[in-house]
Amino acid sequence: MTPRHTKFYRDKRNGRWLGVCAGIADYTGLDVTLIRIATVLLTILGSGMTIIAYLIAGWMAPKKPIEFAAETPEQAKFWQGVRASPARTVRDVRSRFRDIDRRLADVETYVTSSNSQLAREIEQLR
Amino acid sequence: MEEVMMAIVIVGILFIALPWLIFHYVTKWKSQATLTTEDENLLDELHDLARRLDDRLCTIERIMTAENPAWRSVACDPAAIGLEDRSIAESSLSATTNEPRRIGR
Repeated sequence: MTPRHTKFYRDKRNGRWLGVCAGIADYTGLDVTLIRIATVLLTILGSGMTIIAYLIAGWMAPKKPIEFAAETPEQAKFWQGVRASPARTVRDVRSRFRDIDRRLADVETYVTSSNSQLAREIEQLR
Repeated sequence: MEEVMMAIVIVGILFIALPWLIFHYVTKWKSQATLTTEDENLLDELHDLARRLDDRLCTIERIMTAENPAWRSVACDPAAIGLEDRSIAESSLSATTNEPRRIGR
């Protein structure tokens, strides 16, 4: 079974300790530094809940599968979009297909019309 | 009497209303449409397909632009080509110039 793209993983490779912050950054697409600063601020200002939450997340969440390490930034961005809003991503893909359809229709029109033009030219040569 | 009533209300809130609220939202959240594994694979495949088709189309468009830079304007208005073509045919009969034909508007 292929690993899911829409689950939360901790990113130990890019992580500082357990990779939870890096995992959150990878999941949401936000900057790692921003999330780390937010975590530290929450820990200082709030109670020790952040540390407990961090440990729980580090204990519960699986490590990022090795297959995902090879994905390109473009793919990573795509999956972040999927996780944020699947409906919007589906609409994006549909609009891409519509764009392809429109451009292909242009090409088709040109090719078919230039063929008829060629036929007329041959007709003249007779 | 007052305190007993208060205790009943608090216990009621704590042990009935609160779990009710939580489970209400949990069921709501679970019933929400989420991507299954198949959906995910399908979406991945479609995205990849769109990307590849886009690349191929770009190649074709580049080739066609190299052949005839004005092909887009031809494709835009098929009716205009018919009208334009006749004049080209007439002019090509009268003057045999070898200059590239400008098709379209």
